[in-house]
Amino acid sequence: MRKIIVLALLSGVCGAALAQEAGTPPQGLRGTPANLPDISVIGVIEGHTSSNKADDTRDKLEFSEVETAFQGYIYPEMKADVFLALHKHGTEYESEICEAKVSFLRLADGLSAEVGKVNAEFGKLNKAHTHTRLMIDQPAVLTNFLGTHAFNPQGAALKYLLPLPFYAQAQAGAWNMAGHEHHVEGDNTAEVLDVDQSTVTVVLAPEETEDFSPAGKVYTARLNMSFPLGSGSELELGGSALKGKGSHWEHHEDNIKIAGADFTLKFWPDAYRRFTLQGEYMRLTREVPVGTLKRDGLYLFANYRASKYWNFGARFDYAENAFPAITYERDYALIATRNLTETTTLRAQYKHINLSGEKTDEGWVQLTFGLGPHSHDLE
Amino acid sequence: MKKLFLTAAALALWAGAARAEIKVVTASSDLKYICERVGGAEVKVESLSSGDQDLHMVEPRPSMVFKLKKADLLLRVGLDLDMWVDSLINAARNPRLFYGAAGYVDASAGMALLEKPEGKVDASMGDIHIYGNPHYWLDPANAKTMAKNILAGLKRAAPEKCAEFDANYAAFIKETDEKLAGWQQRMAPLKGLKVVTYHSSWPYFAARFGLDVAGHVEPKPGIPPSASHLDGLVKKMKAENVKVILTESYYPRKGPDFLAGKTGAAVVTAAVSAGGTKDVGTYFDVFERVITELEKAAEKK
Repeated sequence: MRKIIVLALLSGVCGAALAQEAGTPPQGLRGTPANLPDISVIGVIEGHTSSNKADDTRDKLEFSEVETAFQGYIYPEMKADVFLALHKHGTEYESEICEAKVSFLRLADGLSAEVGKVNAEFGKLNKAHTHTRLMIDQPAVLTNFLGTHAFNPQGAALKYLLPLPFYAQAQAGAWNMAGHEHHVEGDNTAEVLDVDQSTVTVVLAPEETEDFSPAGKVYTARLNMSFPLGSGSELELGGSALKGKGSHWEHHEDNIKIAGADFTLKFWPDAYRRFTLQGEYMRLTREVPVGTLKRDGLYLFANYRASKYWNFGARFDYAENAFPAITYERDYALIATRNLTETTTLRAQYKHINLSGEKTDEGWVQLTFGLGPHSHDLE
Repeated sequence: MKKLFLTAAALALWAGAARAEIKVVTASSDLKYICERVGGAEVKVESLSSGDQDLHMVEPRPSMVFKLKKADLLLRVGLDLDMWVDSLINAARNPRLFYGAAGYVDASAGMALLEKPEGKVDASMGDIHIYGNPHYWLDPANAKTMAKNILAGLKRAAPEKCAEFDANYAAFIKETDEKLAGWQQRMAPLKGLKVVTYHSSWPYFAARFGLDVAGHVEPKPGIPPSASHLDGLVKKMKAENVKVILTESYYPRKGPDFLAGKTGAAVVTAAVSAGGTKDVGTYFDVFERVITELEKAAEKK
C-alpha cells in the first residue's frame, strides 16, 4: 500500500513536470488578445547622385520604398507572410505585392512548400529583400538577367532537406511570371534591334531600361549546401537553374535558360567581427528562332563587419546585357553601413560604372528603418 | 565463416551497448551546462552559440539547421533575446521542435521578470525587449527555474528516465542553493555598491546581491554611447561616488576605459555565459569569476 502511495505521488510530480509552460511567443506568433498578426513597416529613404545628367533620379533625396508586412500562423505548421510595397519608379510611386505566400513548414520529414508570390530562391541574393542586403543597389547581373527588382513570380516551390551528414537542401519551383510587373503602358514602346537585324517594336516598362527578365511559365531548381570549416567559419555552396520565356516573348519568341553557381564564405573571429566573401556566376542562354545567344554575368562581394555598429563592403560586377546587342558592364562599388539599432541602418555607397566604355559615377545615401516585428526566412 | 560470425557478434554487442541519447540543441552555453547536469549521461547537448557571443547578435547559419533537424529537444532563452532561433526552427522542419511541440523548451517560462515595460513600447527606448529583461540567467537562483523547464522537456522526451532526471535535478538544485548561499555571504559586504554597467545585462544579478546600478554606458539598450552621454555619466559617477564599471566581455572597452580614466573607477570585465572567457568554463564559474573581480575592485576602492 505504501509503495502504491509513493508511486502515485511520484507520478503526480512527474506529471506536473511534464506540463509545458507557455514561455515567450516567437515571431509570427505574437497574436495579441485581438488576434492580430505581426504587423511591421520598413521604410527606405534614398539620396542619389550621378555623373549622368540624363538620370532623372539624380540629386534627389526621397522615399524610395515602403514595405508593409503582415505575418502570422494560419494553421499549425502553416504560416502566411504578406509583404506589400510602394516603390519609386522614375517619378511615380507604384504599388506591388512583393511577396504573398503561404509556407507549409512541414509536409513530411524534411519537406516543406511555399505557395503564392515568392522571391524565388535562384542564386543567393534574389531571395533577400532589399532592406536585408548589405548593399543599396543590386549586382548588375541580377538586374540584367532576373529583373530590376527581385525575380518574384507566382507559383509554388517544394524544398527538401536531403538526408546527408551535412546541410543540403534541394528545391524545385513551378511559376508564372507576367512579362512586366510594373504597370506596362501600351504607348511606351521602343524600336529594338532583333538578332536577325530586323527592327521590332517592344512594349517597355516605365523605367528607362528595358526589362528582359524571365516570364511566362518558369521552372526553377536549386541545390545548396553548407559546410562548417570550424567553430567560427562556414562555407555555403549553391547551384541554380531556371527555364522560361523572355518577357517580350510575343515579339521575340525567345526561350531562356539560366544556370547559376554561388558561394558564401563567412568567418566570425569574435562576437561582432565578421568577414564575408560572396560570389555568384550566371549564364543566360536565350534561344530565338534564328539561333542562340549566350550571356554571362557575375559579382564578387566582400564585407567586413568591424564592430556591432559598422560594416564595410566592396563589390565587383561583370554583366553582359540580356538582350539584344551585347554590351559589357563592369562596376566597382564601395559600401559603408552604420547600424543605428537592430532595425535601423544608415548606408552610403559609391559605384563606378563602365558600360562598354561609357563611364558613370554614382553615389547613394540610404536610411532604412523598421517599425514593428518583422522577420524573414533563413537567407 | 568463423570470422564473419565473430564480426557480426561484435557489431551486435556494440549496437546493444550504444546508448539512445537524447539529442539536445540549446541557444546558449548556460542552457547547455544546465541541461547536461539535469540530463546526465542520457543527453548529448550542443549549443548554437559560444559563451563569448552576444546572444542578441548570433547569426543563424545553415549548419545550425542541420543540428536542429536531428534534435529531440530545443532549449531557448526566450524573451526576444534569441529571435534568430525562429528562422532556424522553420528551416529545420523538425516536428518535435515547433512552438508548443514536446521538444520545444523556453527556459524563461515561469520566470519572475524584471524591467517589464509598461504602456507603449517603441524604438525611442532603444532595442527594448517587450516582455522584460531577458538576462535572467545572471541571477543564479533563476537557474532553478531554467532547470525545472529543462527537466520537464527531458521528461517529455524520455518519460521512462524520469527518476534519473529527477535525481540529477535534485543534485543540481542542491548545488545551486549551496553555491548561492556562499556567494551571498561573499557579496554581503558589497551590498549597496554602486556600479555602472555597459548594457542592462545585470539587473537580476544586482537584485540578487544588492548592487545599486547607477547607470549604463549605453544611453539606451543597444544604442552606442555618445560623447555627451559619457560626459553626463562622468558627472553622475563623480557625484554619486561610483567606483566600479561592470562590462560584459564582448563589449568594446573604449567607453568603460574613458569613464575609468575620468573617474578613477575600476573596470570589471566579466563573462556573462559559460565559456565566455578562458577561465569561465561552466555556468557556476560565471558567478565565481564576477564576484571575485567585484571583491577585488571593491577592495581597491
